[in-house]
Amino acid sequence: MRKGFLCGVYVLLVIIAFSPSGCGNGETIKIGTIKIGINAPLTGDIPKVGEGTKFAAQMWLEDIQAAGGLEVGGKKYPVELAIEDNESKAESAVKVNTKMITEDEVLVIVGPQASKQAVPAGGIANKYKTPMISPWSTNPDTTKDRPYVFRTPFLDPFQGPVLANFITEEFKFTKSAVLYDVASDYPKGLAEFFKKAWENLHGPGSVVAFESFTTKDADFSSQLTKITNSGAQVLFTPQYYNEVALIVQQAHQLGWKEPIVGSDSWGSAETVQLCGKDCYGLFFSTHYAAAGATGATKEFIDRYKAKFGYVPDDVAALTWDSLRIVQKAIQDTGELTGDLKKDRNRVRDAMGRIEKFKGITGEMTFTEEGDPIKCAVIVRISDAGEFEFYKSVCPTG
Amino acid sequence: MRAWIRTSTSAFSQVPLLGWLFGALIAVALEHLVGTPLALALGLPKIPVLFGFVIMLKKPILIPSAILYVLCIYVVPIGVTTRLSISRTNRLAAELFRSPIVISVAVHLALLYAILHMWAGINDYRLLVLKLTLIAIMVTLSLNVINGYMGEFSCSHPGFMALGAYGASVFTVVLFVDDRLFGAAILPPALGPFMFPIALILGGLVASLGALAVAIPSFRTRGDYLAIISLAFMFIVKSLIENLEFVRGPRGLSGQPDWANLPTVFLWTVICVWIINNFVRCTMGKALNAVRDNEMAAEAMTVNTRRTKIVAFLFSAFWAGVAGGLFAHVLGYVNPGTFGIQKLAEVLAMVYFGGLNSVYGAVVGAVSISLLGEVLRPLEIFKWIIIPLLLILVMIFRPTGLIAFKELNVTNLVKPKQNPDEEM
Repeated sequence: MRKGFLCGVYVLLVIIAFSPSGCGNGETIKIGTIKIGINAPLTGDIPKVGEGTKFAAQMWLEDIQAAGGLEVGGKKYPVELAIEDNESKAESAVKVNTKMITEDEVLVIVGPQASKQAVPAGGIANKYKTPMISPWSTNPDTTKDRPYVFRTPFLDPFQGPVLANFITEEFKFTKSAVLYDVASDYPKGLAEFFKKAWENLHGPGSVVAFESFTTKDADFSSQLTKITNSGAQVLFTPQYYNEVALIVQQAHQLGWKEPIVGSDSWGSAETVQLCGKDCYGLFFSTHYAAAGATGATKEFIDRYKAKFGYVPDDVAALTWDSLRIVQKAIQDTGELTGDLKKDRNRVRDAMGRIEKFKGITGEMTFTEEGDPIKCAVIVRISDAGEFEFYKSVCPTG
Repeated sequence: MRAWIRTSTSAFSQVPLLGWLFGALIAVALEHLVGTPLALALGLPKIPVLFGFVIMLKKPILIPSAILYVLCIYVVPIGVTTRLSISRTNRLAAELFRSPIVISVAVHLALLYAILHMWAGINDYRLLVLKLTLIAIMVTLSLNVINGYMGEFSCSHPGFMALGAYGASVFTVVLFVDDRLFGAAILPPALGPFMFPIALILGGLVASLGALAVAIPSFRTRGDYLAIISLAFMFIVKSLIENLEFVRGPRGLSGQPDWANLPTVFLWTVICVWIINNFVRCTMGKALNAVRDNEMAAEAMTVNTRRTKIVAFLFSAFWAGVAGGLFAHVLGYVNPGTFGIQKLAEVLAMVYFGGLNSVYGAVVGAVSISLLGEVLRPLEIFKWIIIPLLLILVMIFRPTGLIAFKELNVTNLVKPKQNPDEEM
């Protein structure tokens, strides 16, 4: 008798276990709070990037709180940020995204920054139909075939030709050299796009040296000697700030006198600090120029500097723009229904419709893929070590 | 009072595994039924996701509610049901024990799966954490074969994982997915889930093949030198994949189909634990211990040390490769940067935290480090102070890890803990 009862309990439990969970899982939020997830690398390889993201997000939240909330359709909603650390690891970025979507029930996600995290995390966001915007990822895969994923920066296939054209027009050079990190996603991609664009302009073989190294190398003398002897007129190196300093200094020690040109990864406050006088007078392409900025850009830089003590780098500026895009998209929905699923869809639609958004990193319109059409800025490092606006290059057609 | 505590703890020592599983099942069922109303009544926004720890760190004001919730849903129901059902579960366990051991084990595993399924059914975040924890158990266990049972210090497991991850991913992506890299799918995707085990085994075999590069030098070197060779192997694998354009180099390979669901991962973990447990307890496993303790003596006692080493490395790499394949399919993306020093540190921490030379230890280490990493995430940088600190403390007080040198004996595990006829 007892055993029969026990068996009955077991059977019942197993049935409950395998039945799809029906109760207590309704996706409704208490209408009244808008939650926005920030997926940032606060620890790990690139903590400075995470810091910039966090600070920009906090500044944005202050603005919203000062205004008494985010106004959507005539009603003010308080905003909450869920800032989570993804340790700069792909798997953690996926965990964080899953957590923010299913547990914290955020409306929109901003981040992750680096492509190695944004690509898998974007897959999660798309799977759960939650809009996500990456402020920094330049890998085409992040947004490819993912209607719910957007990004704020321009892509490498755009940046490569911009630089090739700029060098050709500015210096009238025909032979270039490239030095890049073969083990890192971003420099490798950009180096290849640059090479392709350069060879389109000057014919095959016009990139006279295409040298590579591996992440964390610190001695570039053999590659730089080759480049110096190759007869190149300009060196292009799409590296991060710590490597830029080493490359530029070593190149000058080895007798390289021609210009060195970089990409948006140079745009960190650390570049000039580490590189010093060697970097003065060099050019790179980026999203915005801090020195000599005007209007909203200047206002942002001044506020950030006053609050956190240093000039914001491009990650902070792009995060700021991403949050402003999110804000506009939420406001454009007209009203929030309180049904999270519906609201996420509406925000996504509104974001896809955004046209000519005036951000501090330029004017943006999203393509079908969720990539912005926007201008790049060429910056010159002045003799005072500041990033000076030199010219702006916009996509044609 | 003290007497009461003593009697109740001694009573709990008589609870068979079946009883604990039964109690846990009741607890997760309870969470399904009354979890949400209870959480709301206690002032929590929703069901605490990882036993309330995350919410405690984020909003300290909710600590009492979170503790109360855990007490109401987990601690009290498990305690009460296991205590009350001691005689019944023991009798049932005894009944099962009389039947072939396979049936008894199958019932236990089915119960365990039901518990995990229900626990993870509350929230997809739990599901993901659970899947990655199970995969971590596989990797830790496979590393334990080398570092624990054979006593070498292998640093190559992230490399084996990478080989397995890429091997399995290339197989599934080429055959079943339309993508830009390899063109259209060759076989209909409907066949995919059935071929998934083949993909995983293939990943494991690729990893085994790579392991030859470490196994052969191990004939002549030991200790630190072999550790350096294995470390070099890990970097070779990483650089190799970074330079292989057909798997997209450092950009990473994405588009793996979503076949690594909970039953698949659970089943593979169970198979892995079962086979490794049998392996280390058979003659070959004892030969591993002999090689560890004194290679010369082992050789003199007719242990074929070369064969032992090569089998151990290939076997261990196979399971690391399978785990890597599952890992790639859980994330749907894999890049060479994932399998670097950071991953190595994580796996080694799991092995040494849990305990050398022990299947229990590997499970405990993998589960505790994975969960700690998740639970302490809100602390950001302090997480990287607390976890290493814990590791140091474990190393001071238990130099070989929490549960080291303990055999997993399945028969002991499932047998009833008291004679049912005695009590009444």
